[in-house]
Amino acid sequence: MHEMSLVQGLLNQLHDLAREHNKTKVISVCMDIGPLSGVVMDSFQFGFDILSQENPLTRGARLEIVSSPVIYRCSGCDAKIEEESKPQACPACSETLLYPEGGDDIILRQVQME
Amino acid sequence: MCDSCGCDLNHGHSHDHSHDHSHDAKVIEVHQSLLAANTAMAEKNRAHIEKMGAVAINMISSPGSGKTTLLEKTIEAIGDSLRIGVIEGDIETDRDAARIRAKGVPVIQLTTGGACHLDAALVHKGLHLLEKEPGGDQLDLLVIENVGNLVCPATFDLGEHHRIVLVSVPEGPDKPAKYPKAFISSQVFIISKTDLLPYFDFPVEEARAEALQLNPKLLVMDLSATSGQGFEQWLDYLKGICRK
Repeated sequence: MHEMSLVQGLLNQLHDLAREHNKTKVISVCMDIGPLSGVVMDSFQFGFDILSQENPLTRGARLEIVSSPVIYRCSGCDAKIEEESKPQACPACSETLLYPEGGDDIILRQVQME
Repeated sequence: MCDSCGCDLNHGHSHDHSHDHSHDAKVIEVHQSLLAANTAMAEKNRAHIEKMGAVAINMISSPGSGKTTLLEKTIEAIGDSLRIGVIEGDIETDRDAARIRAKGVPVIQLTTGGACHLDAALVHKGLHLLEKEPGGDQLDLLVIENVGNLVCPATFDLGEHHRIVLVSVPEGPDKPAKYPKAFISSQVFIISKTDLLPYFDFPVEEARAEALQLNPKLLVMDLSATSGQGFEQWLDYLKGICRK
C-alpha cells in the first residue's frame, strides 16, 4: 500500500505549487500513471479521496488518472510495438523476447487551481 | 478565461499584476514525476556510495524468501575477499541487524515504523549511520535488504547499482507473472531454497522462462543457502560487480 505515501508526496507538491502561484484552492489534478508503475489506480484514488480531505487547499479536489501505454521493443528486429497489453510475440518477426520501454512512471501532468 | 490564457506557465514569480480579477482559476502544466524527489535523493546516494568506492545492491522479496539467510551465508562464504556492509530494512525490530552483526560486518537497522518499503531518504540516513560503524566507511559491497514485500519496494530507487529479486521455492513459480514490476526493474532473479525442490511443485525452467518474458535482460540464478547449491555462481557474480 505504497500508494498512500505517493499520494502524500503529491499533496506536498500541490502545496508547493499553490504557494508558488499564489493559489488557495485545488480544483482538479491530472495524473499519468503508467501500467508498469506498480501503482494500483483504485488505491491511489482511495488514498487521494482520504488525504485530500485533510486540508482546505485540496478538499473537494477532483482527481483524473490517465495511463500512457507501454511501448515494447523487439529484441530480434528492434520494432516498436504499442499494444494495450503485452503482445505474445513481435508481429513483424515473431520474436518473443520484448523489452518494455517506459510505462513505469507516475507523473503529475496538470493542476487546476484558483 | 484564465484557464486557457496560460499566461504564467513559465514566467516564474514576476507576473501577479494583471490577474487580480476574482475568478482566478488557472491550469498549471507540471509534468513532473511524483518520484522526482526520491529519484534525486537516490542519485545522491549512488554518488555517495561510489565515492566510498563501493557497489550497492538492493534485495527485494516477499517476507520469508530467505534474504537474511542468504546474506549470512554470503558473508561467511566470501570471507576476506569482499568487505561487505549492510543496511537492513524492516517495519519493526532490529533482529535482522543482530543476525548480520553476529557475522562480524558493519550493519545498521532501519525501521520504517509501518511503511512497506524503504525510500531513498531513509537509505541516505542509513548510509551516514553505517559510516559511523567500525569499518562502515571501507566497503566493497553495500547490501541494502529491503522490507519484505514484493510489490511496493519495486517503485523506489534507493541509489543501488543492481537490484536483486528473490523468490523461494515454497512461494511458487507464478510470482514473476503476478508481481511483474519487481522483475522488470531488477537485474538479477534468484530462485532460493532449491534444497526444498523435492517437496514442492516448482518447475525452475518455467519460472525462469516466465521471468525472462517480462525482462529478457534478467540474470536468473537458482541456489540454496542451506545446501550451498548454486552458491559459486552467486559469489562470482558479487565479486564481478565489485571488480573495478
